[in-house]
Amino acid sequence: MTHNMLWRIVGGLANVQAVLLVAPLCEGVLRKVTAFLQSRKGPPLCQPYIDLLKLLGKEDIESGESPSLQRFVSKLALAAALTVACLVPMGFAAPMNGAGDVILLIYLLTLCGICTLLGGLAAGSTYSLLGIGREMMTMIALEPLFAIALLVGAVHVGSFRLDAVLNGSVYAAQGIPWSGLILLVVMIMSFQAFVQRVPFDIAEAETELMEGPLSEYSGPKLALFKWAQMVRLVVHSGLFVALFVPWGSGLAFPLGWMLFWAKVLVLVLLVTVVAATHARYRIDQAIRYFAGLLAVAFGALALAAYGF
Amino acid sequence: MSIASKVKEALVGLKAGRVTLDYPAQPRPAPENFRGRPIFDAQKCIGCAGCANNCPAREILVFDVCQEIRILKYLGRRCTYCGRCADVCPEKAITMSREFETATNKIGDVQQRLDLFMSTCQRCGRCFKEPSPLEQLKLKGYRVDDLENERWIFRSRAYLESEPVVDDIKIELD
Amino acid sequence: MLKNLCQKMFGRSLWVYHANSGGCNGCDIEVLNVLTPYYDVERFGIKLVGSPRHADVMLCQGPAMRSTAKALRAAYDAMPSPKLVFAIGGCACGGGIWHDSYPVLGPVEKVVPVNFYIPGCPPRPEAIIYGVAVAAGLVDKKVAPVEFKQLNLPIPRYHPSDLKGRGEMVVYEKAEKI
Repeated sequence: MTHNMLWRIVGGLANVQAVLLVAPLCEGVLRKVTAFLQSRKGPPLCQPYIDLLKLLGKEDIESGESPSLQRFVSKLALAAALTVACLVPMGFAAPMNGAGDVILLIYLLTLCGICTLLGGLAAGSTYSLLGIGREMMTMIALEPLFAIALLVGAVHVGSFRLDAVLNGSVYAAQGIPWSGLILLVVMIMSFQAFVQRVPFDIAEAETELMEGPLSEYSGPKLALFKWAQMVRLVVHSGLFVALFVPWGSGLAFPLGWMLFWAKVLVLVLLVTVVAATHARYRIDQAIRYFAGLLAVAFGALALAAYGF
Repeated sequence: MSIASKVKEALVGLKAGRVTLDYPAQPRPAPENFRGRPIFDAQKCIGCAGCANNCPAREILVFDVCQEIRILKYLGRRCTYCGRCADVCPEKAITMSREFETATNKIGDVQQRLDLFMSTCQRCGRCFKEPSPLEQLKLKGYRVDDLENERWIFRSRAYLESEPVVDDIKIELD
Repeated sequence: MLKNLCQKMFGRSLWVYHANSGGCNGCDIEVLNVLTPYYDVERFGIKLVGSPRHADVMLCQGPAMRSTAKALRAAYDAMPSPKLVFAIGGCACGGGIWHDSYPVLGPVEKVVPVNFYIPGCPPRPEAIIYGVAVAAGLVDKKVAPVEFKQLNLPIPRYHPSDLKGRGEMVVYEKAEKI
């Protein structure tokens, strides 16, 4: 029993380490490919590592409404994102999948979004409050989409256990899995919003348009928030791959693991190409878009309830 | 918002290749008619101070030490590289070079200072004297700028008074 | 040890905040040119950020005006140290063509301490990249003060009092100096 638990803890820590180290590389790939598409030579691939190290070395200016809440929230953001990493199956079964089920996963993902809201509230400046208002609207329209995808998988498989659901279960209906295919299209069309890249990065990465909720953070706290953003990119891609593109995850240890990372990289490239060629949506255009997608997703849930 | 137009956009960007110039590694000279930093040639300068009178930013300061020695100081801080000094100079002693790489951490690095001997007459040993008293004022130190504080004095009586005419304006910064 | 590593990484990833305190926007356009694909400055790791709290370098242009002096100082104080200030353009380096006008206080160094100057009106994008490279230590600076002093005053004087008789001829004796 303890042997098993020890294995799980070690496996969880290994997962966390892998995600922490690879997340800035994925961001580096994103910036370099964006530069390629804009016909210029971009930053070197290891630039996000250098950015994070530099931010960790800067002075920490405490200002805003409540500095103690700022300190707490910056650590909570990275911690929440890394906890989700323990639950993602990376080519082998997820190390902590006995510790929770699908409902825990949905709420952990929502917690990652709430950290942004708390961060903006802790800063308290006008731009932060505007930014978190938009983030709230986006979250209300967006988190249900992922929840519905996981629920459809759960309905098909008949249980809420993570290792059953995160294994391509949306395709497990009898005959042609209509609900699975509809959900695949819906998720691809809204994936940019989960990782907060360009057509839909209305709240957080909107530091170019208005300063956004992160505007009062400096130095190490900003480093933690940026790292949390990069980890969310990897973790969401990992969950998408586990739900919708699971083939080949049963291979032996090195091959299955590398196949997982290859699929994540392909997904990151797709995100980059869409991000580099689109303009940012306004908040009302985005909400209408998500409302349409939500209606389609509910239709798919109804189909799944009837066994399709 | 069609997919085809976005794919075309991405392909256009990729087709152009990478157009980034390799600038600090490879030098990149300015075009032919580019007006860069002015270079003052002291061998040709006769000390007429025409450039100082003409500079729109008042960057060339003139100070007469005695009747025979005149100091011309070009501070490059505000220079807009307009070229009026080069146009006006009767001896063509000022050339607008093509240099633009003038970044520095001390602004005093851009200045050029010329200490010139105003030639005296070979018979009497005095400098050339203008016929009318108004013109004579120009020789006797009509133009005196403040070289220590690097300040242009725009009132002619100011060199008689010791305190500066142009004062710093106090601002509250908090 | 970690602190050393962090300080070494400072020069390779500079985040820039752009503050225009009253200029004509000519230098603004040149700074934006530097971020375009042709002169791409992102290959040095430089990124434009929207908030002074995220930034390492403040690019000031335009002279310090009476109305914007407080705001410029507040933006400078909001930056976390270690920080650098670059003054871009003739107006920020010395007050500009409008140095004696009524709202202008003078160069930007009356309000914030400046580390690097990039004169020009407006400076070419290559000049701005050159200034950034000098600040990062990649190239040497190319200007130095020039001073010319006329050391000898070689005026021969031919005055009637110098006429000397020599035999039957009358010659001028050249005096050493006046």
